Amino acid sequence: MLETLLPIVILASLALAGLGAWRRISLWRQGRAAPVALFKGLMALPRRYLVDLHHIVERDRYISHTHVATAGGFVAAAVLTLVVHGLGLAGGVLGWLLLLASAVMFAGSILVAKRRINPPARLSKGPWMRLPKSLMAFSAGVFLVTLPTVGVLPPDAGYWLLGLVLLAVVSGGLAEMFFGMTWGGPMKHAFAGALHLAFHRRPERFSTPAGAGRSTGLKALNLDDDKAPLGVEKPTDFTWNQRLGFDACVQCGRCEAVCPAFAAGQPLNPKKLIQDMVVGMVGGSDAGYTGSPYPGKAVGEHHGDPHGPIVAREGQALLDAETLWSCTTCRACVEECPMMIEHVDAIVDMRRHLTLERGQTPNKGAEVLENLIATDNPGGFDPDSRLHWAADLNLPNIADLGQVDVLLWLGDGVFDMRNQRTLRAFVKVLRAAGVDFAVLGNAERDSGDVARRLGDEATFQALAKRNIATLNQYQFLRIVTCDPHSFHVLNNEYGELGGNYHVNHHSTFIAELYREGRLAFKPWKGGSVTYHDPCYLGRYNGEYDAPRDVLKALGIEVREMQRSGYRSRCCGGGGGAPITDIPGKQRIPDMRMQDVGDTGADLVAVGCPQCTAMLEGVVDATAEVRDIAELVADALVTSPARVQAEEVTA
Amino acid sequence: MAFEAIFQPIEIGKLTVRNRVVSTAHAEVHATDGGMTTERYVRYYEEKAKGGCGLCICGGSSVVSIDSPQGWWSSVNLSTDRIIPHFQNLADAVHRHGGKIMIQITHMGRRSRWDGFDWPTLLSPSGIREPVHRSTCKTIEEEEIWRVIGDFAQAARRAKEGGLDGVELSAVHQHLIDQFWSPRVNKRTDQWGGSFENRMRFGMEVLKAVRAEVGDDFVVGMRICGDEFHPDGLNQDDMKQIAAYYDATGKVDFFGVVGSGCDTHNTLANVIPNMSYPPEPFLHLAAGIKEVVSVPVIHAQNIKDPNQAQRILEGGYVDLVGMTRAHIADPHIIAKIKMNQVDQIKQCVGANYCIDRQYQGLDVLCIQNAATSREYMGLPHIIEKSDGPSRKVVVVGGGPGGMEAARVAAERGHDVVLYEGGPELGGQITIAAQAPQRDQIAGITRWYQLELARLKVDVRLNTRADAAELNALQADVVVLATGGQPFLDQTPEWGYSPVAEDSLVVSSWDILNGKVAPGNNVLIYDTICEFAGVSAADFLADKGARVEIVTDDIKPGAAVGGTTFPTYYRSLYEKEVIMTSDMMLHKVYREGDQLVAVLENEYTGQQEERVVDQVVVENGVRPDETLYYALKEQARNHGQLDLEALYAAQAQPCLSSEGEGYLLFRLGDCTAPRNIHAAIYDALRICKDL
Repeated sequence: MLETLLPIVILASLALAGLGAWRRISLWRQGRAAPVALFKGLMALPRRYLVDLHHIVERDRYISHTHVATAGGFVAAAVLTLVVHGLGLAGGVLGWLLLLASAVMFAGSILVAKRRINPPARLSKGPWMRLPKSLMAFSAGVFLVTLPTVGVLPPDAGYWLLGLVLLAVVSGGLAEMFFGMTWGGPMKHAFAGALHLAFHRRPERFSTPAGAGRSTGLKALNLDDDKAPLGVEKPTDFTWNQRLGFDACVQCGRCEAVCPAFAAGQPLNPKKLIQDMVVGMVGGSDAGYTGSPYPGKAVGEHHGDPHGPIVAREGQALLDAETLWSCTTCRACVEECPMMIEHVDAIVDMRRHLTLERGQTPNKGAEVLENLIATDNPGGFDPDSRLHWAADLNLPNIADLGQVDVLLWLGDGVFDMRNQRTLRAFVKVLRAAGVDFAVLGNAERDSGDVARRLGDEATFQALAKRNIATLNQYQFLRIVTCDPHSFHVLNNEYGELGGNYHVNHHSTFIAELYREGRLAFKPWKGGSVTYHDPCYLGRYNGEYDAPRDVLKALGIEVREMQRSGYRSRCCGGGGGAPITDIPGKQRIPDMRMQDVGDTGADLVAVGCPQCTAMLEGVVDATAEVRDIAELVADALVTSPARVQAEEVTA
Repeated sequence: MAFEAIFQPIEIGKLTVRNRVVSTAHAEVHATDGGMTTERYVRYYEEKAKGGCGLCICGGSSVVSIDSPQGWWSSVNLSTDRIIPHFQNLADAVHRHGGKIMIQITHMGRRSRWDGFDWPTLLSPSGIREPVHRSTCKTIEEEEIWRVIGDFAQAARRAKEGGLDGVELSAVHQHLIDQFWSPRVNKRTDQWGGSFENRMRFGMEVLKAVRAEVGDDFVVGMRICGDEFHPDGLNQDDMKQIAAYYDATGKVDFFGVVGSGCDTHNTLANVIPNMSYPPEPFLHLAAGIKEVVSVPVIHAQNIKDPNQAQRILEGGYVDLVGMTRAHIADPHIIAKIKMNQVDQIKQCVGANYCIDRQYQGLDVLCIQNAATSREYMGLPHIIEKSDGPSRKVVVVGGGPGGMEAARVAAERGHDVVLYEGGPELGGQITIAAQAPQRDQIAGITRWYQLELARLKVDVRLNTRADAAELNALQADVVVLATGGQPFLDQTPEWGYSPVAEDSLVVSSWDILNGKVAPGNNVLIYDTICEFAGVSAADFLADKGARVEIVTDDIKPGAAVGGTTFPTYYRSLYEKEVIMTSDMMLHKVYREGDQLVAVLENEYTGQQEERVVDQVVVENGVRPDETLYYALKEQARNHGQLDLEALYAAQAQPCLSSEGEGYLLFRLGDCTAPRNIHAAIYDALRICKDL
C-alpha cells in the first residue's frame, strides 16, 4: 500500500511546494527592480552557503552541529526520498543511503528539540516550537518507510494501521518541509535563505578563494531619477532582493542579542523589524510575531499594508519612526546574522523617506542637517574656523604644496575641544615620525557621514561631491584620519560618486610607522588598559589588529572586554543616534563603560572621536578614556632636534 | 563648543595668536644680573605657554635706557645687546609650546627711584615730583629726548633679534611717554608740550623710530590708560583722541588698555583691582578705546574666570583678554578649559599678594600657588603620581597648609586622611573671608574643597586628632598644620582670660567669626598692622560700631600691601573709623560696665585713656604646639626637617629611610606664625616627594 501512496503524497507535496514558491516569488517581485547577476549568483550559492554562511553559523557551535546534521541530512534525505519513494528506484545502496540520511537528520532533530526546551529569550516561539517535531516526523517517517524498501522489514509487513499512521507522519513532515518551505512557516528560511544568498544585494560581502569580502558602504540613491522613490515609504519600495532577504530570517534573535538599542530599552529590535518587513509584504497585523517585542511597544497594535506607508503620517502603521531612529547603525545585527540579512540598509532606506520626503528627522536632526547645508559642519560653526585649534601648529596646507605623502583628514572633531587633543597628539606623532603630510584646512567639509545616516542622501552627496572635487585637485599617496566615520565614508562610500582613495585610520598608519622603525616609545607606566573597537573601524572596515598592535608596541597588554572585536558593543554615538536621541531605559554608553569597568581596566583606549565623546560623557566612570594617538604621543621618545616642533601640548 | 570666542585665533599685525588670552606685562622681579632674563624667568613664561596661554607680554617696565634704572624691580634691561641671547632662550621656550611672546619696553621717566645703583638723575617733561615713589627728577632736555627715542628703537631691535614676537610700548602707569601726554605732568612750552600735537610728539617719534627699526613683520603695540581718574589728568575722551591719533599712523599693531592712572596710592589700587572690586571694573574704558581704533584691543583687570572671558569676548568689548593674575594663580588655566576641567582651575582670588610683593621689590609669588615662578626649582604645577611606596598620610589641620599637604599627598597617589577640628575647611582663611569685601579669599578654600573631593581624600571635620588616635592609625607620614590661637596673653595688663566672661579683651578672630557680638564703641589695638586688624575694624564699623583702630606702628594697615590698603582706607574713612598711630596698648581695666583702655605714646610715653565697651586686640598668632610635642619623640625623624633639602625643594632624606613608626612634619603657623603662602609653600615642598 505504501508503495502506492507514498509517491502520490510526495508528488503532491512537491506540487504544493511549487505553488508556494510561485506565491513567494511573486511577493518578492512586487519590490523594485535591482540589478542582480542571477546565474552567477546561483553558481556562487554553494560556496556562499558552505563557506561564508557556515562561517557565521559556526560562531554558535551547538547550532552549527545541529544544522549540519539536520539540514545536511534533510537535503540528502529529500533528494533520496524523491528517487527511492517518488520514482521507486530503490536499488543498490540508495535505500541504505536514505536510511543513513534520515537517521542523521533525526539525530539533528533531537538537538533542535533540546534547544527548544527552555529556549533563550532571543528565539521566537510559535510555529518554531513545532519545527523539531516536524523534523522528527519527516526523518523518522522516512526512515521507517524505507526499512521495507531495503528488505529489513518484509514488504508485506504492511500492518494497515501502522502504515496509515506512518503515512500521516510522513505527510506531516513533507508538508512542513516542502510546502512550508515556500508557502510560509519555519522552513521558509531554507528556500528564501538559499535564494537570498544567491541574489544578495551585496555580493561583495562573500569571500572568494582569493580572500575575505566586505561590503558596508550604503548604496547611493540616484537623485537624478525622477521615478525612483527617495527612500522607502511602502514595503514595495524595497528592491525585490531586499524583500527576499527579509524572508530569509530564521528568527534566531542573534541580532536582538547584540543590538545596543534593544539592550538600552529603546524601541528597536532588529529581528522584529525584519519580521515586520515580512508582515508588510502580505499585509496584516504583527500579532503572529512570537519573539521579543520592540521594548516598550506591545505586539499586535501595528498593521502593515503592502502598498501603504510603513510609518504612518498620523497614528500607527507597520512601524513607528522612533524604531528607525533608535538605530546606531553599528552593524552588530548584520555582523551576527547567520542569514546575512542587511538590517542597516533597510533602516536607512526608510529613514531616507522620512527625512527627504517628510522632513521628519527628529529632535536635533533637522538642526544638524540645516547646519550641514549652511556651514558644512553639523555644529553650525564658522566654516573658516576649522583650523582655529591648530593656530599654533603651523600645519602645512596641501593647497600650498599640491603634492604630499599623507593627506591628514581632520574631520569635524576640529570643532570639539576634546577631539582637538587627539588631533594635536596625532600631529605630534606625525612630526615625530617625519611624515610628509598636509591638511585641506578650511577647504575640508564634513564627510557627509551623519547626513547620510540620518537619511539625507542629498546633503551627503552634495558634501561628498564637493569634497571629491577638492581632493581631486591634489596629489597624495593616501588619506589618514583619526575619525573612523570619515574613514568609512571616504574609503567605502565616495567610490560610487567618483572618489577613490587609499585611506587609513590613524591606528593603521601608526602601526605601520612603528613597524618601519620610525617611532620609538617609552615603556608603559600607566595602569591596565582595555580597548574599545569603534564600529566604523571594526565591523565596517575590519580593522581589529592595528589598534591592538599599537597598544602592544606601547607595552600595553590589553584586557579585552567580553564584547570586543567584531562583537564590540557600540558606544551609542553612530548613525546620528545622539542627535535623534530616542529615549530608552538606560544609555548605551553607560552600558559600554560598564563593560569597560568589568575588565577592571583603569583606561579605555579608543580610536574614534564619537566613541571618545560618548564614553567620556559617562558619569562616575571607573576608567579614563584616551585616544590611541594620545597614548602614542605621550610615549614618544623623540630626538632632541625634533623636540622643538613637537612640544605643543595644550 | 563652549568657550569658542576664547579659542578663536587672532592676527596681531602679521602675527597669529592661537587664542584670545594674554598674560599682560607685569614686573616679574626676577630678571637679575643687570636685567638679564634668568632660567627662572624663562621657566615662568614657558609654563604659561605650556598651559596654553596665547600671548605672553613679559617684562613689565623693561627699560630701554640706562637712566631708567632696572634694579629696583629687577626688570629686563634692553639698553644693551647683552640681552639678545637671553631673549633667544625665552623665545624658544615659549614658541616650543605654540605660545607667542612680546616684551613691554619703556623709559619710566620720573616714576622710579634715584637713590641707588647708578644714582641716576631721573627725567620727566617738567621736573615734577612723583608721589608714589617719592621721586624727584630733572626736566628732560632736547638732546636727552632724542637719545631716549633712539634707545627705544635699539631696544626694539634687540627684542626682534632675540626672536621675540613684538614689543609693547608702555604709555601707561605714568611712564615717560604718557608723562609727555598728560598736562598734569607736562608743563612744557616748547614743541614737546602744550598743544595736543606737541604733547603727542615724543610718543609719536618713539613709535616712528621703533617701526622704522623693526619693519613691518614685527609687532609693535602700545599700552595706554583708559582714564587717569585725576581731575587735571587725561580722561576717557582724551584717551580716545590719543588712541585714534596713534592708530591713524598705521604703525600700531595693538592697544592694551588699563583703566585708571596710577601715580597716587589710591589710583594705583585701581590698576590691579583686588578682591573688593567687581569683575572687569574698567572694561567700559577699554571698549571705548576699541570704538576708535582699527587694531586689536587687549584689556586686563579682574578677568579671572573662563566664563567671564568668554562673555567679554563674545560681547565684542575687546579683542583679547588679559588674564594675568589668573595665570599667576594657575598657568594651566587654558589647558584646563580645553581638558574640560574648568572646576580644577585654581582661580585668582584677588588677594594681590603677587603685585604687593612686586611693589616692595620682591619677586612675584602667588598667595595660593607656591609653584608659580618656582618652576625652575622643580616645583610642579601638575603633581606626578609617585612610583615609590604607597603611604598612609595623615594631615592634621584643615587650613591652607594642611589642605595643600593633603592635596599634594593625594596627587602623589597616597592614602590621605585630613583631620579638621572645626566644622569646615579653611582655617584662618574662613575667618578672613568674613570681613566686608574680603569674602573672595574663601575661593582659596573652595578650590581645595573641590580638589580634595576629586582626589577622594578622607576629610574628617569636627574631629580633633589626639596622639593616641594618630598612633593607632599606623600612618607612614603625619603632617601637622594645626595653626595657632590669637596671642592675647602676651601682656598680662591687657586682662585677657580664657574664660570669656572674665576677659577684658577679645580677639579679632572672635569678632570676625561672630563668636563675640560687636560692641557699640570699640577700640581695636592692632600691633601687627596686617589684614586682621583693619578687617576687624571694617567689620565692626560695618555693623554700626563706632571704631577707633590704634597701633604702635607707623599707621594702621601699614603691612597690608600697596594695592590693598587703599581699598581698606576707602572703606574705613567712609565709615568714620578713627585711625591712631604710635600708641601702644598699655593696660585695660574695667570701670562699671565700661572698659578703659590706657594707651601710651611710643615716642613720648604720655598716656591717654579711652572709655569703650569693647577692646579688640590683634596681636598675631601663637603657634599651637601641643600635638607636635606629644608626637615628636615617637616620630622616626623627631619632627626634624633637613633644611638644605627643604630649601632646595629636594626630597626629605628621611623619606627614603626604613624603620618603625611615622615621619612627622610640621608646617604653617603651628611652627611660627606666617602667612598663607608660607604654609602652602612648605606643604608643597615637603609633600611633593612623598
